[in-house]
Amino acid sequence: MVDDAGDTVQVASVARRIVSLIPATTELLFAIGAGDAVVGRTEWCDYPAAAARVPNLGDGINPNTEAVLASRPDLVILYNSAQNAAIAGRLRSMGIASLRLNTDALSDVGRVGRILGRLTGHVLAADSMAAVFDTALAHATAPPTGRRPTVLLLVWEQPPMTIGRGSFLDELVQRAGGANLFADVVSTAGTVSIEAVAARDPDLILTTSAGPASFADRPEWQAVRAVRQRRFLPVTGSEYNRPSPRAPAAIRALARRLRPAP
Amino acid sequence: MRRVSVAILGVVVVASLALGLAAGTVPLSPGQVWDGLWRGDSSAGVIVRDLRAPRVLLAFAVGGSLAVCGAALQAMIRNPLAEPYLLGLSGGAGLGAVLAIASQATGPWAVPLAAFAGAIAAIALVYRLSLVAGRRLDPRVLLLSGVVVGSFAGALMSAIIVLSPAAGIRNAFLWLLGGFGASSWRSLAVFTAYAALPMATIGLSARHLDLLALGDETAHHLGADVDRTRRTIYICTALLTAASVATCGIIGFVGLVVPHAVRTVARPLHRTLLPLVFIAGGAFLVLSDVVSRTVVRPLELPVGVITALVGVPLFAVLLRRTLA
Repeated sequence: MVDDAGDTVQVASVARRIVSLIPATTELLFAIGAGDAVVGRTEWCDYPAAAARVPNLGDGINPNTEAVLASRPDLVILYNSAQNAAIAGRLRSMGIASLRLNTDALSDVGRVGRILGRLTGHVLAADSMAAVFDTALAHATAPPTGRRPTVLLLVWEQPPMTIGRGSFLDELVQRAGGANLFADVVSTAGTVSIEAVAARDPDLILTTSAGPASFADRPEWQAVRAVRQRRFLPVTGSEYNRPSPRAPAAIRALARRLRPAP
Repeated sequence: MRRVSVAILGVVVVASLALGLAAGTVPLSPGQVWDGLWRGDSSAGVIVRDLRAPRVLLAFAVGGSLAVCGAALQAMIRNPLAEPYLLGLSGGAGLGAVLAIASQATGPWAVPLAAFAGAIAAIALVYRLSLVAGRRLDPRVLLLSGVVVGSFAGALMSAIIVLSPAAGIRNAFLWLLGGFGASSWRSLAVFTAYAALPMATIGLSARHLDLLALGDETAHHLGADVDRTRRTIYICTALLTAASVATCGIIGFVGLVVPHAVRTVARPLHRTLLPLVFIAGGAFLVLSDVVSRTVVRPLELPVGVITALVGVPLFAVLLRRTLA
């Protein structure tokens, strides 16, 4: 088969020992009933709870080839980044199938789920997971009517950084009935000026930090009305940072919290 | 002649500050900017008075301070490569900031304060090392100590970043890359109140700097207390740089090249050179900040990227013209 990086990969009939170095694919493997085949995961694979029993092979960003080999996998799943090209090639030269996959958008849930279903022999479970997901997603998506509250997606506070159109969080907020304050920005993450935020005057500020919004007390932020009025929308669960079968529920939860906004 | 140059400098200051107020992410007409300056309640007023005005003044103050630090250090160490960050400061400040983020310190001022503490610790360590090695403050030992302390802090910083579970730790680098996005009247007041004393002290040492530039022996014979001047200059520049790192991250290039650029035009005594360098550094950083917040709007680039991208070609041209 051909992976998302465009490499043709020889895959044995059914993978029985899988190292999954993307939290999203770990979650999908468990969702389609292939959790038992997962023999290695990243530090960030926190869902479902059963994933915690799988050995942790590191942060998944710079995979340790030795640790991967030590778990004797017949399939290694890597994120589709340029820096993973080297390890994917090395593993293939040792006869271990390794795929680089994109897991960035809601549309990847069904697509990657089906790929994993084929590789693990859970085709039917993957198909039904994808079908259920599509229906739930359609139901959770807000109709394109009425005024949409504008939301600043503040992914980092100092310097203030936001993510623009096409990002996963942007997709969630849009489907929940909100509008990304910086939908005109295409880059996945960028530093914005407080001046621009003040001028665009968001209805809500979505933050990804667990604690209280510490920037809210800084004097320069008082130029922003939503900060003065403490209209914050903290989201911390991992369902907000990776595409997964939990996304429709996350969208519905987000929609409930967006609605009371003026 | 003198009156003409003062007038030119006045124009440079006013023009850079005016441009800094007028340009920004949100396009405002000159009329809106003018109204906003006096009536702070409109949305343009909030932007001009609460965000742009302190930002522009802070950029000027920091740029001027860094450039003066560079000029003083170059005279004191008698090395054209001397610059404020060479003394281990950036490493120390970076380590402080990364520690604060890794330990998930909250509070609006946690990161700047930690950076300041880190910079001060690095300064103290460098100073101590230089004294041990040479008994008196030897410029060469000072430079070496600065470099090794900086590398050590850098190694610790990398270790923390690799080992830390904090998700956003990579963004500590972004904070360090520098910018004036977090300026407010309060941060301007804190910086100026703090910088006044070391700045005045450097100014008062202008004559000693002239003498130091001639060499230790000559300076000594002409009545300068070489060791004391060196200590004073070192402590003042270090304190100033630490404050600017805590305010706006690490902004390279200004302290290194602005003094040289000024010297390619004129080579006056430090009494005149230092104010010139202050104004040139201030105006340069204000203009760089303007570029950083307008070139990819609504996003911002780190101002340190701009100071180098704009400044290096400018400096190359100046250098060629002087040497030719």
